[in-house]
Amino acid sequence: MAKNVKLLCCAVLLLALLWCRAAWASEPVPAIVEKVCSTCHGMDGNSVIPTIPKLAGRHPDYLFKELSDFVSGKRTSEVMGAIAPTIELGELRKISAYFGAQKSTSEAITDPIAAALGEQIFLNGDEARGLPACGGCHEDDGSGGKRFPRLAGQHRAYLIEQLHKFRTGVHLYPGARFMREVAKRMTEEEIRAVAEYVSAK
Amino acid sequence: MKRFVKIAACALLFAALAQAQSPSAGAKAGEVWNELKGEKLEALQLKGDATRGAQAFQACQGCHRRGANGTNNGAYPRLAGQHATVLIEQITDIRAGRRINPKMAPFADEHVLTTQEIADIAVYLQALPIQYALDDKGAGKALDRGQALYARDCAGCHGDHGQGQANKFVPLIAGQHYGYVLRALATIRDEKRGNANPDMVTAIHSYGKEDLEVVADYISRLTLP
Repeated sequence: MAKNVKLLCCAVLLLALLWCRAAWASEPVPAIVEKVCSTCHGMDGNSVIPTIPKLAGRHPDYLFKELSDFVSGKRTSEVMGAIAPTIELGELRKISAYFGAQKSTSEAITDPIAAALGEQIFLNGDEARGLPACGGCHEDDGSGGKRFPRLAGQHRAYLIEQLHKFRTGVHLYPGARFMREVAKRMTEEEIRAVAEYVSAK
Repeated sequence: MKRFVKIAACALLFAALAQAQSPSAGAKAGEVWNELKGEKLEALQLKGDATRGAQAFQACQGCHRRGANGTNNGAYPRLAGQHATVLIEQITDIRAGRRINPKMAPFADEHVLTTQEIADIAVYLQALPIQYALDDKGAGKALDRGQALYARDCAGCHGDHGQGQANKFVPLIAGQHYGYVLRALATIRDEKRGNANPDMVTAIHSYGKEDLEVVADYISRLTLP
């Protein structure tokens, strides 16, 4: 009997080890993430710098599209426009898959009143002004998808900066036209409110 | 079955082309209402794909909502179940500026939707089930008068049940949100829509505020058999 238990224990231990190894092996940190991306975006894609976006949990297809747009110049960024073209396409795909598989952290709510207004705008928009609900594209939980970026958990400062860039036309790539119109229809208070709400999701 | 659908679609398109090319009696001099040319014609001739349409429609959901049933106060119309021909007509008219809709126009921009995606969205929406908004009606006070006006001025084109006619670009209006129907009627009567069927402008030209309200109330209560 004791022998059986010992055997069983060994088998369980072996299986556990194998399982750990499998889990470990399925998500190796790509070398470029370690050497390049993590400096700003964090090893797990949860940047700690408020003006640098978290990438964790963004859909890999969306991440890859963003990176490709930086390479082609469709989307401009002083930093990413310089870095992305130096990395091979295959590596960009690996990076996208890696960050897409990481879990995004959430920010804490600092202004509950703003967050409540933000929730209202995020889920319903404002019909009187034809302001679309953010959740229509970015999903009601802010998780985004293949075509639209995840917003849940993103840094407030980054979200506000992006909306300002859309509104003032700094973002001029074709896909930005929709968001430019959305941002133009938002008040400054609403921009801050939506950022407050969704960063805590 | 697939072949039948294809044949039916071809027949419908052919009928639509034949119908809409005939100049309307009410058209402004030198203008043909809903002339099938340019992007409109191109989108009508493209084969739409409902799966792609569902993806492309994501960009519209912020307003028309998931399932495309619009909103209860009628700020945004229900699109679910609408004829694909009508949807293509309206989207292409809005983005060409023929239909006046500044709220929607920037979101129907060619950088948001391709011509193919317009065709895709149209077949996707056409097949969506209508969810009637049971609490979104008018006052319900003069429904018999609403019915009489509808029978006299509307049913000839929109049908007894408000089903519309796909091949003549007559929209399905059964159960459309009261607030939206009312606004659309007033905009068409006052010739502020831009692309209204001239026959309809003539039909409701003499309608007063109450006429619009009772007929909109009646329409908002119609359901498809």
